[in-house]
Amino acid sequence: MVQEISNEIAIEVKDVWKKFRLYHEKTYSLKERIIFWGRSKAEDFWALKGINLTIPKGSTVGLIGRNGSGKSTLLKIISRILYPTRGEVKINGRVSTLLELGAGFHPDFTGRENIFLNASILGLSRKEIKERLDDIIAFSELGDFIDNPVRNYSSGMYMRLGFAVAVHVDPEILLIDEVLAVGDLAFQEKCLAKIKELQKKGTTIILVTHSPKQIQDLCDLAVWLDKGEMKMQGSAIEVAEAYARYVSGKER
Amino acid sequence: MWQRIKEIYAYREMLKNLVSKELRARYKGSILGFFWTFFNPLLMLIVYSFVFSFVMRSGIKNYAMFLFVALLPWNYLSSSILQGAASLVQNASLIKKVYFPREVLPLSVVLANLINYLLSLLILMPALMLFKIRLTWALLAFPLVLLVETVLVASLTLLVSVGNVYFRDLEHITGVFMTAWFFLTPVVYSADTVPPNAKKFFSLNPAAHIIEAYRDIFYEGMWPDWKALLYVGLGCLILFWLSLLAFQRWQKDIAEEI
Repeated sequence: MVQEISNEIAIEVKDVWKKFRLYHEKTYSLKERIIFWGRSKAEDFWALKGINLTIPKGSTVGLIGRNGSGKSTLLKIISRILYPTRGEVKINGRVSTLLELGAGFHPDFTGRENIFLNASILGLSRKEIKERLDDIIAFSELGDFIDNPVRNYSSGMYMRLGFAVAVHVDPEILLIDEVLAVGDLAFQEKCLAKIKELQKKGTTIILVTHSPKQIQDLCDLAVWLDKGEMKMQGSAIEVAEAYARYVSGKER
Repeated sequence: MWQRIKEIYAYREMLKNLVSKELRARYKGSILGFFWTFFNPLLMLIVYSFVFSFVMRSGIKNYAMFLFVALLPWNYLSSSILQGAASLVQNASLIKKVYFPREVLPLSVVLANLINYLLSLLILMPALMLFKIRLTWALLAFPLVLLVETVLVASLTLLVSVGNVYFRDLEHITGVFMTAWFFLTPVVYSADTVPPNAKKFFSLNPAAHIIEAYRDIFYEGMWPDWKALLYVGLGCLILFWLSLLAFQRWQKDIAEEI
């Protein structure tokens, strides 16, 4: 699936369509299937309608739009959690996705054990995890708690550890879905600082957000999605302004 | 296809961690902890020895051992498939949030059960000696028999796990099917007792040949039926290839269906 594309391009999205089947009531049982045979059980819903997107290496791109505009779907397709119904996505480099912090943590295992578990789920080898272990523990600010089972953690500690692992994967492409909205202010600052550090290193970042301000602060480019279609694409500042105008216009 | 296999290999660290999670988490919180891995087969052995030496006498010599050498690999097969059936559905939240080759989840169940089986051999071997069963060079065939069984188990576990995402009844159907399969396989009885006109039908069962091979090398002290093992082995390899292909095709929509 991964084909050779130009070295300057990190991600190429070509005419991607995504269809979801919406079940009014998900019926699995045989009885219900027989009773409702032939009646419309599912409705097709096109979450993405012909999206084209080229993301140059090292750039930070913001995906903005209202709820249900398809931005998370697009992010999931790029990260290969979902597959497009039509079209294709070409990717150049190792991808890490921040959809949920601490995915796959086991509550009975210690923080340290969970670092190994979580990092391996994100695709790191044992050697790579060992190299990063000290940095991850330092970043998480957990101190001695690192050897306690994570079920004893507060939700803040849990997220700090999850974020610490995810950003230390050192991906070439980092996909972030609104996880920056979690944690206290100090932690948010720290996450932003880490993202800026990754930007300097040349990491390609795609960020899903509702906030035009975050786009302006962090991104070079922005894409505005609306009902599965691309409404606008261009420099972060222009798109953020247009979107802010649109939203405030709607409210008035 | 090779691309996919390479990718699964690249996630071997995840596979390893899931297996150790499976093995350690199973008995977490119990006082005996990991030792349950040994106590389970040991207690099973004690119960069977008692029942079949004193309560229900069988015509087969050393019946407890006759049963035990076959039951352990059968349990490996059956628990892998039954646990594997739920492996994708149970990890729905992970599948929806992180990309990784989905094969890793059912394969980790197979590997965890494989390790459990190997550990139970630490109980089996002394027990065989205790019952004065002669151990022979035929034991050298063990890795091969185990490999053939593992290929079969992995194929079926892959198929059942991904099938169960689209058709949740499969998990329960599998439960019934495994019971039927158990009695159609010479685990509690000897293959010799199968009536001649049913032999053809029985020889279509790959598990029968595999279980027979285990019994040959551990209990009878003789080499397994090489020809049968070769056919079963080749069949299982083809099945494994098809399972990987089917899994790869069906796994595309699981994040939505789960």
